[in-house]
Amino acid sequence: MNARRTLAISRRIADLFRRDHRTLALVFVAPIVIMALLGWVIRDQAAPATRLAAVTPAGPAGDIGRQRLQDAATAAGMDFRADITTEDAARQALRDGQIDIALVVSLANDQPRIKVITPGINPPADSGRIGELRQLIATALGQTGPPLEQESIYGAGDGDFFNAFAPALVGFVVFFLVFILTGISFLRERIGGTLERLLATPVRRVEIVLGYSLGFAVFATLQVALVLAFVLGSVHIDAIGPLPAINIGLGVPIAGSPILAFVITLLLALCAVNLGIFLSTFARTEFQILQFIPLVIVPQSLLAGLLWPVESLPGILEPIARVMPMTYGIDGLREVLVKGSGLAEAAVQFDVAVLAGIALLLAVMATLTIRREVA
Amino acid sequence: MNGAAPAVEARALTKRFGELVAVNALDLELPAGRIYGLLGPNGSGKTTLIRCLVGLAKPSSGEARVLGVPMPNRENLAHIGYMTQSDGIYVDLSVWENLRFFAALAGARDKAALTEVLDLVELSSRRNTPAHQLSGGMRRRLSLACALVHRPSVLFLDEPTVGIDPALRVQFWKHFRQLAADGATLVVTSHVMDEADRCDELLLILHGKLLARGSGANIRAQAGTQDMEEAFLRLGGNESEK
Repeated sequence: MNARRTLAISRRIADLFRRDHRTLALVFVAPIVIMALLGWVIRDQAAPATRLAAVTPAGPAGDIGRQRLQDAATAAGMDFRADITTEDAARQALRDGQIDIALVVSLANDQPRIKVITPGINPPADSGRIGELRQLIATALGQTGPPLEQESIYGAGDGDFFNAFAPALVGFVVFFLVFILTGISFLRERIGGTLERLLATPVRRVEIVLGYSLGFAVFATLQVALVLAFVLGSVHIDAIGPLPAINIGLGVPIAGSPILAFVITLLLALCAVNLGIFLSTFARTEFQILQFIPLVIVPQSLLAGLLWPVESLPGILEPIARVMPMTYGIDGLREVLVKGSGLAEAAVQFDVAVLAGIALLLAVMATLTIRREVA
Repeated sequence: MNGAAPAVEARALTKRFGELVAVNALDLELPAGRIYGLLGPNGSGKTTLIRCLVGLAKPSSGEARVLGVPMPNRENLAHIGYMTQSDGIYVDLSVWENLRFFAALAGARDKAALTEVLDLVELSSRRNTPAHQLSGGMRRRLSLACALVHRPSVLFLDEPTVGIDPALRVQFWKHFRQLAADGATLVVTSHVMDEADRCDELLLILHGKLLARGSGANIRAQAGTQDMEEAFLRLGGNESEK
């Protein structure tokens, strides 16, 4: 052990950090930004008032209960939809996005049963609202009441958190991996001298970008197909000898077309390819490409609706989320896989159109960064 | 292609990077079919000059022409070969895949040309070897091959012989001579002065200016010394005194 040699190495690292201002900034600034963003999102969620409908049994007792619920809901700042009085109407309102949650009280053998119906598209948002409702019931009835039965319009409705979560995660995982891969590949072109050489041939810049997009699209196609198959499918394998029976695949139930989900994921991957090419201009090393993760990936994971609905984001964070490709990818995947919407649905058309637009815009930006004049 | 025009031409070519003047009002006219040696110390502006001629850098002022066509010109690049200072090859691809890629980009469809070039740089036995497994000299050869696949009529070779052994260097120069005999124009940079005598004509570059031009013997006579390095220092010394 030689302290001088050890210290020389430590010092070299300190010198490197001192020179690499970006890394230095990242080491100190990125954790603050991420924590601030998280605090902001979690604490200051300005969720629009929960829109609630309550259905109670016919009769004076039911009407009194309903009135109490309405008073408590209004006092709690919720939007109580008094015009919805039947379970069917409540379900339709949920489906149309008119209300966020419905409470159905019925009597079975003189015992009240309380059923909570949620859309089931965004599980974290749903469970937040169920919590709100629990409090409301306690206030209205002066007691906790019977246990709540939960049901959802879309999805399996069994409260399996993962089922409604998986479609959004697929988009996220694909975007992340494709972004990192293209960023590093293109950076290698830039620093390895192959881009210089490429540009000394009659190739057009747009041909480079399209070639990259196509090449990575093929790769992403296989990846997306495999991930979707694994998440959506489930193959049961019987016990073989000492090996126990297992299920391969997560078997997430889906409502809509896997092909449409595939198209949306692919568009998301194309955004990632072109963003990777574009941002590779601003990196000198592969290490610096990885530094884009807290700048590009983390905010999208917090703001794009993966965990919290975009509508409930505080203040200026919502417009930021509106320009992120992941916002539309996640919404589109939920529309298709959880709600079962098809391409005829305006929401899906919108998501697909915006994603295609962002992919195109990023492709133009990527093309502009490939200059014949590199040095 | 314009037969009457010189293969390579520069008119008051200037390239500035902020304060730094890398190429300074340089005039040049290089008739076709010869080997030109671009000599100069590190940082004298050789690579920038070549990048302007290839069209990778836009001149700040003045004009660069190759085969009579003002550069940058994308289509004209089909007639130009450029071997960069760094190898500029894909290390994950095999020798053949690298060649095929650059041939496709240059628009060369002739498979036979690929085999021929591979023979020329003596890498036929390494055809399927991934480039990262090649030795430094072999990579240099592959890099040269990639610049030759489309049979360019003008070739810019930036330090082509750096890091290769003397036997291979002799081999390289033999290829260059052959290419020139077939009508190609070669511009070869080097800071190894002993390569100078292999060129038909020397262009001495210092501080982005053309210091002297002529055959090796001619330049020695100008400087009044037999030693090429000495000649360079003397000519350059005179320049800086002015």
